Amino acid sequence: MAQILSRLAPTQPAQPLPGFEGLQRFWEPENGRWTVKILPGEYYVTRSDEAITTVLGSCISACIRDPVSRVGGMNHFMLPEESPGHGDSWLSTRYGVNAMESLINDLLKLGAVRKRLEIKLFGGGRILSSLTDVGARNIEFVQNFLRIEGFTAAAQDLGSTSPRKVVYFPATGRVRVRKLRPIENRAIGDRERHYLESLRSRPQDGEIELFD
Amino acid sequence: MARILAVDDSAAMRQMVGITLSGAGHEVEQAADGCEALALAERKKFDLVITDVNMPNMDGITLVRELRARPAYRYVPLLVLTTESTAQRKAEGKAAGATGWIVKPFNPERLIAVVARVIG
Repeated sequence: MAQILSRLAPTQPAQPLPGFEGLQRFWEPENGRWTVKILPGEYYVTRSDEAITTVLGSCISACIRDPVSRVGGMNHFMLPEESPGHGDSWLSTRYGVNAMESLINDLLKLGAVRKRLEIKLFGGGRILSSLTDVGARNIEFVQNFLRIEGFTAAAQDLGSTSPRKVVYFPATGRVRVRKLRPIENRAIGDRERHYLESLRSRPQDGEIELFD
Repeated sequence: MARILAVDDSAAMRQMVGITLSGAGHEVEQAADGCEALALAERKKFDLVITDVNMPNMDGITLVRELRARPAYRYVPLLVLTTESTAQRKAEGKAAGATGWIVKPFNPERLIAVVARVIG
């Protein structure tokens, strides 16, 4: 379907920025733009007039742009679960900090200025049926992160029990949020559970190299 | 116990490094960019500097180069802690005089271990 629609596109997609060539773009008539879909753990930045979309259950997406230098992007992340008996929430928080920092750093490298960043937050719904409210933990993290960094959210739609489809237009800062029907919850819940398990089984710690 | 200077433009990241290393008994001071770090390092002697790469005013690679040019920091371990993981950036860090390269997100226990190792 996406391929058929892409043949109808009036324009060619803009060249992706280095490091983002692997993400597939498709022409989305509803957005009137080439659109990039990101999955849990991914992020995307652009200086073109594109749309970035994702579907969120208990995960969080931050949509961030600098309206002056006209660069923007979106991430999609959640904190891994705490290991039982390991009270130190910093251990899992670092994944969230990394997701936020990777996006912000890439924007700064493209000429964005920290003080000018416009940040919008979405997600953190109560979707997964587990004892702990994963979504609430994710919301608490991202709000804390903004506070520590001295940012204020320009807009947000967080919490509740419906999953969301978010479409972000970084060139204008506009966001379209559609609440999804509960019937769609299961697939989203399954995907997030799978993502959580992958965080647990494959810790994403970066490598350490000591030079000679 | 070592006196450590943690340099990062992200306050959340500075806080995480600070909590991790002070939890291991070190004394940690913070700076938000290379310029601020250099000014602090000139006033006070640190046993180790951990720096991010991409920062306003002065980036981490330049900071490493500047510190190495000062006799007081010629042999002090300088670690880079960054989201950058390309061989090219690492080579720049090594050429500037960095002691090691740590890619974020960092594992707190491994950070503590590598700090213990380089401060010997």
